[in-house]
Amino acid sequence: MKRPVLLFLLAAMACATVARADTPPNDTPGDRLPVVKATLPDAASPTPLALGQPAPLRDVSMKNVDGSDISIADVAGRKGMLVLFTCNHCPWVKKWQTRIASIGNAAASRGLGVIAINSNDPAAYPEDAPDEMKARAKQLGFRFPYVVDATSDVARAFGATHTPEAYVFDARGRLVYHGGVDDNASDEKAVKQPWLRQAVEAVAAGKAVPLAETKALGCSIKFREKS
Amino acid sequence: MKRFSSGCALALAVTLAGCSARDAGREAAPADSAARASRTDTSAHADRGGASGAPVLPVSGPGVTALAARPGARLTLVNVWATWCAPCREEFPALLKVARAHRREGVRLVLVSADFPDQLPGVRAFLAAHGVTDTSYIKSGDDMPFINSINPKWSGALPATLLYDDRGRLVTFWEGMADEDRFERAVTRGLAQP
Repeated sequence: MKRPVLLFLLAAMACATVARADTPPNDTPGDRLPVVKATLPDAASPTPLALGQPAPLRDVSMKNVDGSDISIADVAGRKGMLVLFTCNHCPWVKKWQTRIASIGNAAASRGLGVIAINSNDPAAYPEDAPDEMKARAKQLGFRFPYVVDATSDVARAFGATHTPEAYVFDARGRLVYHGGVDDNASDEKAVKQPWLRQAVEAVAAGKAVPLAETKALGCSIKFREKS
Repeated sequence: MKRFSSGCALALAVTLAGCSARDAGREAAPADSAARASRTDTSAHADRGGASGAPVLPVSGPGVTALAARPGARLTLVNVWATWCAPCREEFPALLKVARAHRREGVRLVLVSADFPDQLPGVRAFLAAHGVTDTSYIKSGDDMPFINSINPKWSGALPATLLYDDRGRLVTFWEGMADEDRFERAVTRGLAQP
């Protein structure tokens, strides 16, 4: 099961590796953050997981903030599942994080499996290190796992590019929502379209998601180098 | 300043954009089409540039593509960035270096900040710190129509870079951070096209 997926990933990332190979190490002094070398391939952006597809790399074990090892398959709920690529450092995530906690907790209480995944390389963003994740999950009251995608391969397999980026699967494990949290990061009171909350509620009720694909701006995922 | 109606503010902004464009030589023509495209929503936060620094005008998604289609450039390099996006800040010097190096060959740079309107002072400070004197832009309107009208293939990750030919046709797009080599390759390839 794993081998074909890994082979596919290897092929998909080949051009990225080539593109990076001629990228000199960049240690620009004086800037606040080290340069992340793993830019996206010349193909512009990876192919996102298509609607109707199951979650990829379901069995990959990831370290949760409580110290346990957990996979996407472990959290799948009887009514569906919410997989959210997120992190600590991203200013857009910070704008949305209380909503993320609220929607995640509501989804969990309504029978959906929920997992928040941090695929960022903490070498680029110390704020995304495991201890910081643990503190953030506690501060926000996450009642769902917040795990480390230690190779960034789970994000690659989903075609996830930025944080926050959400994927909702129905009771049969098919992708029924992919996109942002809502249409207004900066002002919760001004939200006109609570996309993710609507998607979660629809899946919990066994209904069709009103808007299956949305977009919002966010921070590029800082992929770890492929080993 | 706050007493200006949004219409007056916009007119002044466009006028100043014109002044700046003339001062800057090649970066011709104020962004009237882009400004028109966003007139209805956030023109009230159009920045007049002040005594120093370049004007920062609001722009919608269609406004960005209108800017790219303006005559007067062989290539238009559009970069969507934000002050609080680390890779955007990181790649900014390389982006400017490549754009400036090819300016005489007809490469036009259009910088579009995706910051929230209340971050405009930070946007201006960042641009000034990097010596940007041409008219610059700040996103107006909701994310999703902005993203999709610029390029449906754009996921929304920042930074995003787009290269348009002299007729405003998109020739290259990528999202995520680039280094100088990548900007250089894209521009050189674009200029080599017939």
